[in-house]
Amino acid sequence: MKNGFFPRLAWDGIRKNSRTFVPYWITCVLCVSMFYLMRSLCENPVLRDMRGGTTTVMVLGLGSVVIGVFSVIFLFYTSSFLIRRRKREFGLYSVLGMDKRSIGRVMLWETLITAAITLSAGLAVGIAVSKLGELLLTRMVRETVRRGFYVSGSGVLMTLILFGVIFLLLLLNGVRQVRFASVTALLKSTQTSEKPPRANIVLALLGLLLLCAAYRMAVTIRQPLTALLLFFGAVILVIIATYLLMIAGSVTLCRTLQKRKRYYYQTAHFVSVSSMVYRMKRNGAGLASICILATMVLVMLSATACLFFGSDDALNARYPREMDLTVRLQNAEGSEALPDAFRKAVREAAAEAGIGPSRVIDCRYHEIAGLLDGRRAVLNAADAEADPLMYDRLVNFSFIDTADYNRSADAPLTVPAGKLMGYSPRYPVEAGALTLGETEYEIVSAPDGFSYHSPTDVSAYPTVYLFTDRPAEAIAPLAELTDPYGRPMMSITWQYAFDTNVSEERQLALLHTLRDLAAQDPVMREAGSYGFSCRAAERDDYYASFGGFFFLGILLSIVFLAAAAVIIYYKQLSEGYEDLNRFAIMQKVGMTRQDIRRSVNAQMRTVFFFPLGLAVTHLCFAFPMIRKMLMLFNLNNLPLLLITAALSTAAFAGFYVIVYRMTAGVYYRLVSSGDPHAAA
Amino acid sequence: MAILEVRNLKKTYTTRLGGHPVQALTNVSFTVENGEYAAIMGESGSGKTTLLNILAALDKPTGGEVLLDGAPMNAIREKDLAAFRRDQLGFVFQEFNLLDTFTLRDNILLPLVLGGKSVSFMESALPPVARKLGIEDLLNKYPYEVSGGQKQRAAVARAIITGPRLLLADEPTGALDSRSTEELLRVFGEINRFGQTILMVTHSARAASHAGRVLFIRDGEVFHQLYRGDRTDDRFYQQIVDTLTMLNGGERA
Repeated sequence: MKNGFFPRLAWDGIRKNSRTFVPYWITCVLCVSMFYLMRSLCENPVLRDMRGGTTTVMVLGLGSVVIGVFSVIFLFYTSSFLIRRRKREFGLYSVLGMDKRSIGRVMLWETLITAAITLSAGLAVGIAVSKLGELLLTRMVRETVRRGFYVSGSGVLMTLILFGVIFLLLLLNGVRQVRFASVTALLKSTQTSEKPPRANIVLALLGLLLLCAAYRMAVTIRQPLTALLLFFGAVILVIIATYLLMIAGSVTLCRTLQKRKRYYYQTAHFVSVSSMVYRMKRNGAGLASICILATMVLVMLSATACLFFGSDDALNARYPREMDLTVRLQNAEGSEALPDAFRKAVREAAAEAGIGPSRVIDCRYHEIAGLLDGRRAVLNAADAEADPLMYDRLVNFSFIDTADYNRSADAPLTVPAGKLMGYSPRYPVEAGALTLGETEYEIVSAPDGFSYHSPTDVSAYPTVYLFTDRPAEAIAPLAELTDPYGRPMMSITWQYAFDTNVSEERQLALLHTLRDLAAQDPVMREAGSYGFSCRAAERDDYYASFGGFFFLGILLSIVFLAAAAVIIYYKQLSEGYEDLNRFAIMQKVGMTRQDIRRSVNAQMRTVFFFPLGLAVTHLCFAFPMIRKMLMLFNLNNLPLLLITAALSTAAFAGFYVIVYRMTAGVYYRLVSSGDPHAAA
Repeated sequence: MAILEVRNLKKTYTTRLGGHPVQALTNVSFTVENGEYAAIMGESGSGKTTLLNILAALDKPTGGEVLLDGAPMNAIREKDLAAFRRDQLGFVFQEFNLLDTFTLRDNILLPLVLGGKSVSFMESALPPVARKLGIEDLLNKYPYEVSGGQKQRAAVARAIITGPRLLLADEPTGALDSRSTEELLRVFGEINRFGQTILMVTHSARAASHAGRVLFIRDGEVFHQLYRGDRTDDRFYQQIVDTLTMLNGGERA
């Protein structure tokens, strides 16, 4: 045989099947470029040297793993479609006397051509987009832009290796399928008729049950820590439930509809319902994938957008003043001497720098954690019944001297003598008795509109602030309690925070002075656990990590959206081919073009908007969980989250409708013309 | 009264690239009377399929006209054609053309559903037709579960459930074994006795011998026709075979 015969045959095959190959190639290019983009951003010096860059790089590294795994799954899905369509052609080659070995060689060449083209195009796109990504990211995290292209050598190498392996696996899979099939099976592979699927009520009910369980879990969780712990469990439940519902549930639904004669025997429903039974069996998995991708996009976009646009919120919640000092006091005896020494040192250093502290917060927090049940908190974990949802009841009780509070408050607080005023940013604290361990306290509620947040708020679980006029008296019964290891259960934190009214540079200079001072001062060194920080310095970290999250959210959304679009396109195309004959027959028996269009539309709408509807439902139920998880980042801004969720949903729905219109056109042209070459 | 009148029908195909035009039908004229059972015979390429496509309003003639119940078919507007096919004509195809996603019941009901008939109408229309074709017990089965003959009977049921003026059959026995062929032809004879007008295209002399009249088409023209008169199926069959031999012999000479 002449040299170049196989490459030419392979190239011809690709050209003739361009309608299936082009979307496949686009998928490959997409995966390659996205993977390279992630890798190269990880290696990008601009990013690494940025403040908080390490966090972003870590997040992006994680993202590249996600995209890698996704590429494997996704390319296998699209190529299986390709193989199914090519089998007939290979069967024909067999009939014409080509042995399986030679067919393997043709497939090898096809893979080589595909790999060469998509890898080079993907890398080119990736390099171009990585510059864009760099610009976008630096802008989002508010850094200055650097000129010049950056090409990551190791990024290119890793991309080549990963996709080389993927293409090899795809080739082996294809060869395996052709090798183990007889010629007649190959020829007939596109037109085997199959049994109508039975409705599997058990699986459908199981899906419904799992979904309810997951939804219940999401809705009933109260605390961020539990949300974080259970989120992945809930996600897995939802994924399984979605697949079950789409595959078994939809068939069951169609079967039930078929039994309702008045509904079923109508032109618009008749054809669509009966073909959907088949469709769902095969494409239920595809639809479920679309639904899950859609949910991921919605959750990711709304959460990361909320984080990004709320980063100032989170920052201000943690740092209410420009300068912030917190000291963890080891024991009750030192609680007087240490703050005095710190305060004096700070004031002197500030005065030296020409800064007069204003709006000073000088406050001590006496804190003890407990498992709260109704109005009683168990302080010793050993006394509580072990229970996986234990963390959901964990509460931090923080005693605050009203005098400390009033020193820096705009509106002074008065608490009735002998009582405590309870307040929590997470939930309303009712008036009445509250028992901590063995001690009973009388609680009054906070005035309307009262709001408070301390630096000790750990955000993973709620803090209840207890304001009192007589702190020593209130704390006394708890101060002596120790845990099983003999350590005191109560912790004391002192906060000293103030505004400076000077430029950020001077704030940063003061911060450095204070840090140097603390490192040298023996009293401060003794204190052990303390932290000096400055809002201006922390801001960069906040923007860097939240901006990184948002960027990653956008990037992954684009990948997932593209994946969803390609799945949809393939679905339409494969269904179009399958329905070609069916609609040809129906046209012969007197179905009008209008009927076809109506039937196609009815089918499409259901098949299309079902996943979208389910995804939005998923989002609605995930909402409380997302909200709780955002609290871990000190972000508790419900209106902002609602807005970002609504905008993400709107953007996604818009995109979805566009894809729907485009692919519905392909499908309709295919079935109404009766010509398998009409769709292009 | 003539149900179908075909006058000077011509059909010329020109290839897209402007090659030589091919004359599929040169000049075809015949009539089919109400209640008649007519067969059209011809070799492959004689223009049978073209003729049937034109009669089924799937294709347009280049010249001449087709009248159904005295009304010209080419006067029907494009958008009404599908409804016309559905209501006035019934089709039986060689490859059955049943939809594999439907049970036999739903396949048979398809034209009624497309015509927007009520469920109660469907429920009253289906049993007599199914009984006539002997497929009452098979209605809930899917096409892949039944034999070729049963499939074809379901297809006939689908064709006649609308009470069409004319039943067009295109090689209805082409994909059947001899036993199923006999059965189907018996069914055709029976529904014809109930008054159904049938026009069947075939190249099987056995199939044609069940008809009341056989038209022979060659090179796009009606070449000859035979009436059964009061001959038995077997004698009529013999005559058809003789005619075919003669036609072929004439060709050779």
